[in-house]
Amino acid sequence: MKRLARWQDAVLGALGVLGLLIAWEAVTRSGLVNPVIFPGPAKAIAVAFARVPLRDLWEHISTSFLRILWGFGIGAGLGILTGTTSGWYRTLGALTRPVIELVRPIPPLAWIPMAIIWFGLGEPSKVFVIFLGAFFPVVTNTYKGMGGVDPILLRAAQTMGLSGPRLLLRVAIPAAMPDIATGIRVGWGLSFGVLVAAELIAAESGMGFMIMHARQSGEIGVIIFGIILIGAMNLVTDYCIGEVIRRKLGRWHAA
Amino acid sequence: MKRSGETSTEGGARWPRLLGAAFLVTLLLLWQVASLAALLKPFYFPPPSRLAVAFWELTWEGFPEGVRIGTHMLVTLGRIAQGYLLAVGVAIPLGIVIGWLPILDSLTLPIITFARSVATLSLLPLVIVWFGVGELAKVLLIAYGCFWVMLTNVIAGVKYIDPLLIRAARTLDTSPIGIFIRVVLPAALPRVFAGMRIALGVGFMVIVGAEMIGTIQGLGALIMEARTFYRSDISVVGMVAIGLFGFGISAGLEQLERILLPWHRGLELVRR
Repeated sequence: MKRLARWQDAVLGALGVLGLLIAWEAVTRSGLVNPVIFPGPAKAIAVAFARVPLRDLWEHISTSFLRILWGFGIGAGLGILTGTTSGWYRTLGALTRPVIELVRPIPPLAWIPMAIIWFGLGEPSKVFVIFLGAFFPVVTNTYKGMGGVDPILLRAAQTMGLSGPRLLLRVAIPAAMPDIATGIRVGWGLSFGVLVAAELIAAESGMGFMIMHARQSGEIGVIIFGIILIGAMNLVTDYCIGEVIRRKLGRWHAA
Repeated sequence: MKRSGETSTEGGARWPRLLGAAFLVTLLLLWQVASLAALLKPFYFPPPSRLAVAFWELTWEGFPEGVRIGTHMLVTLGRIAQGYLLAVGVAIPLGIVIGWLPILDSLTLPIITFARSVATLSLLPLVIVWFGVGELAKVLLIAYGCFWVMLTNVIAGVKYIDPLLIRAARTLDTSPIGIFIRVVLPAALPRVFAGMRIALGVGFMVIVGAEMIGTIQGLGALIMEARTFYRSDISVVGMVAIGLFGFGISAGLEQLERILLPWHRGLELVRR
């Protein structure tokens, strides 16, 4: 019964996507809109592959991906470290929380000028902006998770003789894992969200550069292809992260 | 150092706050002193005193000349408000319909999931080609970002209503319209509000990117413009302004939620 429902959902979903693509193609062929400015899906992809050689495309993708990996990696790592320690040690928390809460509402993109001033026009400034996108969701969710650890768990572990860093590593952090996982997924999404803007900073490659460059040369098909590509990469990687989290955490946390 | 594993009571939450405030003030003082002692270059890390002067300049003379900070804020607020209201206005009715009809939900789920994954700012070049670099492009970008967040939350709000509530209302002989107004809407509202809060955050994030192009008015434009004139102090004042602005508005929305949705808070307390 449940399986049937899932199949039905998949078929209906595919129908919905197909319907949208057909409608899009039909509108562009009907002459209601100028196909140069608003190309259909088939033409957009054809133009993209004609104008952007596969080797360049691969370079754009890998450059962007590497930037995201660096920015997100540093952001999530520091976020988890700051979140767990400031959630565990009360004095440290009292010191760091107000600073983080004060800086957090500043949108990552608003840092771009300072990123350029501090790091120049090269890779570090782009990585820094992506880092900001990942760091704040991870740190706030981790902190929240640390605060929500059931005191009974901690006390039970203490009666069994655990204390200090081992209590933190073996009980508190695993218990806070679901919140940390939430932070990681939000942070990953935001990393993609700021990527394009980060690549507006004097970039020479990357998917964000590819679509901004295509605007100047008027290749709308490349822009549309790029938008879909960035979205698809975000979707696929987010799904993979979600799967990993589900498998690792599913053992003791029912979804 | 003390562990925070023990549940802290409200009364005990005072000293950490004092400590935090003291630490902040110390940091600012250190920053100022380091700058005066020429340990930090003022261009790279404009000290608080310089920021105060820049704020004064922005308030009275404006930057660029004549565009005061109030104008920047109003322009930014206007753009966010237009895009946000457009998104919320379309997403609420649409989301209710999709959430109420399972077949529509199945049909649209992959499209919505994908549209949500599309980075709003990646639409920037496309929006410029279609709508130019004027106001419309910026408003539409914000609307796009807010719309999908809002839509998924409204759909979820309607879809995941406890069927028990609806059945109970049916046993009490409530008409379908009555069920909709008295049961479905109130039960969905907490999620709708959550969506409105998240969407607003998205709006504030997107606006900075949207204002990077084709304008000198608005906080995002101010931050970027200031850099080209080597006025990092003004950039930082702009950053602080947009941060405080976003924070204030989302705090206001949270307060509003508390006043408008007393039953939700009760539910949360029960769940604990």
